[in-house]
Order: sequence, then C-alpha cells, then structure tokens
Amino acid sequence: MAMSVLKEKGRKYVGLPEFARVSGQLVAELQLEQQRGTVTSVPDERTIRYYLAEGLIQTPEERQGTASVFSYLNLLQLLTVKKLQAEHLPIRKIRELVAGKSEQELETLLGVRGPSGKKTEAKRYLESLLASAPSAPPELAAAPPPPQHLDASPASWQRVEIEPGLELHIRSDYSPPATTGKTRSLLERAIHRLRRLRD
Amino acid sequence: MEYPKVEFFTTRAKLEAGREQTVDVLIRITPPALSPDPSTRPNWKGRPDLNLSLVLDRSGSMEGEKMVRAREAAMFCVDQMLPSDRLSVVTFDDRIEVLFPSEPVTNKQAMKDLIARVTARGSTALHEAWVRGGLTVSERLLDQGINRVVLITDGLANVGITSTDEIVTQAMGLFQRGVSTSTIGIGADFNEDLLMPMAQSGGGNAWHVVEPDDMQHIFQTELEGLIAQYAHTVSLSLIPADGVRIIDVLNDFDLTETGRYRLPNLQAGSSLEIVAQLKVGAEEIGTQMRLLDLRLGFTPQDAKQAEVLKQAHTVEFASGTVVDNSPVNDEVIKAVQFLMNARARNEAMKRMDAGDYAGAEAVLGTALSSTREACASFAAMPAVMEECASLQDTASSLKDRLKDKMSRKKLAYAAYTRQTGKTD
Repeated sequence: MAMSVLKEKGRKYVGLPEFARVSGQLVAELQLEQQRGTVTSVPDERTIRYYLAEGLIQTPEERQGTASVFSYLNLLQLLTVKKLQAEHLPIRKIRELVAGKSEQELETLLGVRGPSGKKTEAKRYLESLLASAPSAPPELAAAPPPPQHLDASPASWQRVEIEPGLELHIRSDYSPPATTGKTRSLLERAIHRLRRLRD
Repeated sequence: MEYPKVEFFTTRAKLEAGREQTVDVLIRITPPALSPDPSTRPNWKGRPDLNLSLVLDRSGSMEGEKMVRAREAAMFCVDQMLPSDRLSVVTFDDRIEVLFPSEPVTNKQAMKDLIARVTARGSTALHEAWVRGGLTVSERLLDQGINRVVLITDGLANVGITSTDEIVTQAMGLFQRGVSTSTIGIGADFNEDLLMPMAQSGGGNAWHVVEPDDMQHIFQTELEGLIAQYAHTVSLSLIPADGVRIIDVLNDFDLTETGRYRLPNLQAGSSLEIVAQLKVGAEEIGTQMRLLDLRLGFTPQDAKQAEVLKQAHTVEFASGTVVDNSPVNDEVIKAVQFLMNARARNEAMKRMDAGDYAGAEAVLGTALSSTREACASFAAMPAVMEECASLQDTASSLKDRLKDKMSRKKLAYAAYTRQTGKTD
C-alpha cells in the first residue's frame, strides 16, 4: 500500500480534476476514509478547494494555461489531512501539523516511508549526539587518580562555608568544571550526597 | 494478518436508565498468542531476528555480587541467542569500551570469555555508553527484526550528559529511528526517574532488579518479550459519542504529538488493560447507545506500515432494578482499583521526595484499605492478595528509613507496571 504513494514521487497533476482523481484513489487504498461524522470521505474537487482556502494544502504556483499544477508535496498534504481527519483531529491542529512540513516529514506522518532512508538515520542521529555531548577527554579518563594518592596529597585546602554546619573544602590544585554540563553533573552529585544525609 | 482482540467491559453489563452517571469502561486489548507450533502460523518466518547491544555498568559500585551476577546474566543472554542474531557488549564506568562490536552470535564461547573479564572500577558515564551501544546496533540496523539497547546499571549518571530530560528525549529520538532501549536498574542507588522514562520513551521495558539473583530472570523475560513482541508504536484514541464525555483514563498514558494515548508495545498473547471513566447522560429504558469509538494504531513487528483497528462499544440502558440484579464484573472493579493504587504509589513517592514519610505511609494505607473494601467479594484472587501484600510491604518498609530508596523504587516500578496495562 505504502508503495503506491511513494510511486507518485516527482509526479505532477495538471488541473484539479486529475489531482482529485489520483488522491481519491489513494485515500481509498490507504483506507483513510472516515467512518462517522460529516466530512466527505473521498476528496472531491470542492473539498480540495476548501483545503486550499483553509491553507491545509499549499496553493500550487505552477500553472499550465488556466490549470493549476499540483505536486507530490500537495498530494502528501492532502493525504495527511485526510488521515488526521480520520483520527478526529480539529482542523486547527491539522494545519499546525501539516504546514511547512517537507515531503519526508509528511511521508513519516503518513507512515509510508520506505526503510531505505531510515537505515542510516539512527546511526546519524547517535553520531550527532556524540558530537554534541561534553565527553570526558580520554587522557583524563585513562588516568583516574588512585584513591590512596588522595589521602597522601600534600596540597593545601581552602574552606568555604555554604551555611552554618556545611563547608566546601577545595584543594589548591583543583580546577573548577569547564562546561555547564560538567557543573550540572557536579551539582547533581552534591544534591545526591545531601539527600543521603537528610534520610 | 491476525488482529488483536479488543473487549469492552462495564461493571454491570447494562447501564441504569433515567439518570446521569459515571461509568468505568475496562478496555482489554489482547494480541494473538504465538502458536506453540510455528508451522501452523500462515506467515511464520521464525521469531524476529534480534540485534542487541548490552550496555553494562562496571563502575566501582558494581563491585562484588552485582558484577558477578551481571556478568552471568550477560553470558546467559549470549546462550539464549541464535546465530542469526547479532550482539555487541559495551562496558562503561568513566571510560567506555566496546568489548566487542555487533557480531552474529556464532562463537558463543569467545563472547563469554570476553564478558568474564569485565570487572568493576571508576564512575558512571551512562549517557555516552548508551549512545555507543546504540551505535553498534545502528551500524547493523535490521529492517524486520528488533534493534535494541539493553542498559544495565546500578548507579547515577555522573559523567558526561546527566540531565534526565535530555537523555529521555534522546531515547525517544532513537526509538523513532528504529532502535529501542530497555533499562535494568540494580539495587537501591540507580536513578529510577531516569531509567523508567528512558525505557518508556525509548520503546522498551524498564526493569528493577532487587536482588542480584533476579538478573537472569529479568533477562529471560526481556528476551522472551523481544521474541514475543507483536507490535510497536502503539497509540489509542477514544472518541466518545455525543452526550458522552471522557472524564479520565486511569492509566495516565503520555500523549503522542497528535494527541493520542501512547501505549506500550504489544506482546503476543499478553493483555493490556485500560480503564476509561465516562460521564454518560440520562437515557430511556431500552435505549441502545454507542458509547465509545476506539481506534488502535500499531505497527506489527514484521510489517513496515502502521495498521489501524477500529471498534465501537454499544450499551443498553435498563431499569435500576434490572441493573441492580445483574452480576457485577469483578475484573472491572479490580482493574479500576489497581490503577487507582498505581496513582497512590506515585503520590506516595511525591510525598517521600518532599520528606513527608508519614504522609506517604498514609496514602498507601488508604490504598490498601480501599482495595480490601472494593475487592472484598473476591479477596482470595491471587492478584488481589499480591497487590495487598505489595502495598503493605512498601508501607511498612517506609518505617525503616534505611530502606526508603528501595521503597521508592518498588513504588515506581509497581506503578509503572500497572499503568502500562500489563497483566500476566
């Protein structure tokens, strides 16, 4: 079923009747008809004009003579509107979801996306996460100071009172966290320690 | 394709005519069971192939029994897999190591030898380890099979990205791209407020291992669940008839971007129970009324495209006497009560977080007594006895402050299990 939508990719539909015919077939094929309510099931020319007026379908800029030339994007917009209507979403919400979406995004919303694009999507996504994450530099991670050295440290300590009964001890060679992410991580550890005290 | 069975139940089969009322509707969704004999299933292609990454915490706190059990569980996992499956293992503390990248599970002994050498050390770079595990899976992404990261940890994320919101959003992002995440928290020191939402948004399961011994059992359940997964990306909309209003859906499901209820994955043969509370207007005796239209969207495990199942529930109105004399459906009462108890558990957690232990205990006490009252006529049902025991156990362990972290986890996971509608 999904294939018949994807096969339309790149096609143009000259004139409203042709666009209505093709989209009508696909609506039936994808079973996007509504079961109850007042909205017409298969999009006729009048419905499509209404969608154009409501901005649910982008008005085609291309023309051949007097006829508008509808695109694959228009088709996806129409099918998505029908699908969301069948899910009883209000027009306002549908407009929000459809407006400005790319072919790819609409294909995803419609659930007709081929797996080919998806195959590398997860990988690319994870790589982007890695790139943006404040990762610990490997040399720092590779040499964590063994605990026994901490006790033997000759460095001097500074004491800062946070509130009566709670002090922060800072060793002279300590460098504060370099990024907000690291500061946050540090704070969360402190909060965790404080919670344990409370309990 | 065989569709899930959808059943509707009300406390009594007919509704009372002549008055406005609140009606509890139990909706039970049961995906078809896996046939014990695969050859009798028309489109059986064997169980789905698995593409897993085990992301294993080896931070200092895992030292001892926990590390031993986690290794055993990972090796158990290797044993359960087929040569057609793929497995990778990533270990993490403050360093992240890909113990072995995604490989077909053909040389089991070599995999187990590598796992056997993992010992505990360092702090917890949970986020990056999860990403690395995801990468090993995504490099070999299966179209038809199941792609999943299983994160096993006993600690708090304290290296790298540690923000719950950020990690949970990323888990959802990864799931939308075809790789799901399950989390297994061990002991009392991990962050359930991270691991549970991570699995829920990540399209997997959240597990809590109380005793290291449970590890193997959880792994078995997770693997069986993967094999028995019937459908993912499951959503539900309920459209009330004119004059009917939905007051509440007791499961407290998250909403999808199109405003539908986001349901957990469907498991073959395992029912999902959902309770909706409706306000229904006064009707005349003998009226047949379509109360509710249900629309269940899901993507079957072996399909690429979403399926939609539509079903309506119709009820009849009768006189008060007729209704009062008709039998009461215990299943509806039980489902309502258990979901209310899930809310009570969440409420008790909030009170614990605010330091109000007496309040938390009181909330659980009330839940226990209302369960006893509501379920009095079928108090001997094992599920009811278990529920009461669990509430009582958690309430009394609250008295012992040392156990409070564990109580909070028990509350969290018990509420989660109920609200995701899983029954045995």
